[in-house]
Amino acid sequence: MDLPINKNRPLIMHVDLNSCFATVEQQANPLLRGKPVCVAPYTSGNGCVISPSMEAKRFGVKVGMTVREAKMLCPDAIILHPDPPKYRAVHLQFKTIFQDYSPHVTPKSIDEAVIDFTDVVGLHKRSLEDIGKEIKRRMRSEIGEWISCSIGIGTNRFLAKTAAGLVKPDGLVTITHENLMDVYSKLTLIDICGINTRYQARLNAYGVFSPLDFVSASLQKLQNQVFKSINGYYWYTRLRGWEIDAIDFGRKSYGQSYALHEFTNNPRELSRLLMKLTEKMGRRLRKAGYCASGIHVSCLYLDGTHWHMGRKVSQKLYTTSELFKKAQLLLNRQPEWKKVTHLAVSCYDLQDSNDNQLDLFETDMQKKRDLSNAMDSMNDRYG
Amino acid sequence: MTETINEKVSVVAVYNRDNKSFLPQRLKWQGRVYNISKLGYHHTQKLGRILHHIFSVTDGNLAFRLNLDTEVLSWTLEEVSDGLTN
Repeated sequence: MDLPINKNRPLIMHVDLNSCFATVEQQANPLLRGKPVCVAPYTSGNGCVISPSMEAKRFGVKVGMTVREAKMLCPDAIILHPDPPKYRAVHLQFKTIFQDYSPHVTPKSIDEAVIDFTDVVGLHKRSLEDIGKEIKRRMRSEIGEWISCSIGIGTNRFLAKTAAGLVKPDGLVTITHENLMDVYSKLTLIDICGINTRYQARLNAYGVFSPLDFVSASLQKLQNQVFKSINGYYWYTRLRGWEIDAIDFGRKSYGQSYALHEFTNNPRELSRLLMKLTEKMGRRLRKAGYCASGIHVSCLYLDGTHWHMGRKVSQKLYTTSELFKKAQLLLNRQPEWKKVTHLAVSCYDLQDSNDNQLDLFETDMQKKRDLSNAMDSMNDRYG
Repeated sequence: MTETINEKVSVVAVYNRDNKSFLPQRLKWQGRVYNISKLGYHHTQKLGRILHHIFSVTDGNLAFRLNLDTEVLSWTLEEVSDGLTN
């Protein structure tokens, strides 16, 4: 198979808020504007920077660094706690703006969205670049003057995202079949979204050293030698500008995790935390109308090691108590009670909660579910 | 530096029917009056069934985070920041 480069008009737009959390904090507090700001769940030295502002990035601060490292690079950095309701409000505002241009808006994360203009391009009597400029203007006037975004336009989601990453902050770049090779020639393999050091090593082993080598590699080479899977076909298609990523995978699991402030191996404290996480996860599960038949617990330890275990169960787990009992049984099976830094619980194998098989012995199942729903309603009412 | 305050405060707010805006204009905290010069961001948040309006505002020297509880119609000064490093 020899697939040509997609020469259709680029109709996919990727919008990415620049340094989202830090920028929103600078929008809310004008005194922080123009200053290096880092948002971190913990402001202590070991806290992890989840969003540095553009000013902090100029000092070399990157996502994933510890607060201590950020402070070493930029002693004047202002470290802030995250404020998720504020970020959600901004997310909803920009989603509303995007939906004015197309009904096909797919949020990719809290600060990224894809707008598909394929079905509505005839309604807009102007170019996507003009729409992109208008979106930027509207974000400034309707959300806040400090909010900026990078916009990428391409024939598929991959190229649109790549284009959005080319000029930051406040970029607007279109990748067409005419400049595609030029764009690839300026990138390295790990600049490509989805390729990191291990894939790079694998590609290098088969003589692919640059995105240009990657795009000129044959399908047989990618599928049978480099990736040894269907992924080779996906990359072959994606790199040529054909859409392969417009798939809604649907919800497969619900989970909660927590990075402990004070590391502990105390079973009672871990059990208490597991209960809290399970309650949060269970409420989301029930609100979406699901029950689960699988449960998974994972721990990250202070010595850097990791343990996790998942189990499928015959019973349908719905109430917090049902979920917690199974999660606790898994946690008890840790080979060693080492100090935990990060605890996570998730449930999977989701099914519709109304699709009940009556149990011969568990006769009060419906009562327990009603009680659980009543408790959720009380929590919704009183917080 | 950001300080958590969580104190009830007196606030003068104005609703403008022309641009349909509702903005706090003046704030009295610990006997001092601060004239609010700029709204940074406004968002809402539900705690239980109660809707709270959060106004992030500044008087030019300090930034304030004000919370309007729509159930009891009280204003709480949640945070004060001088925009300097912590």
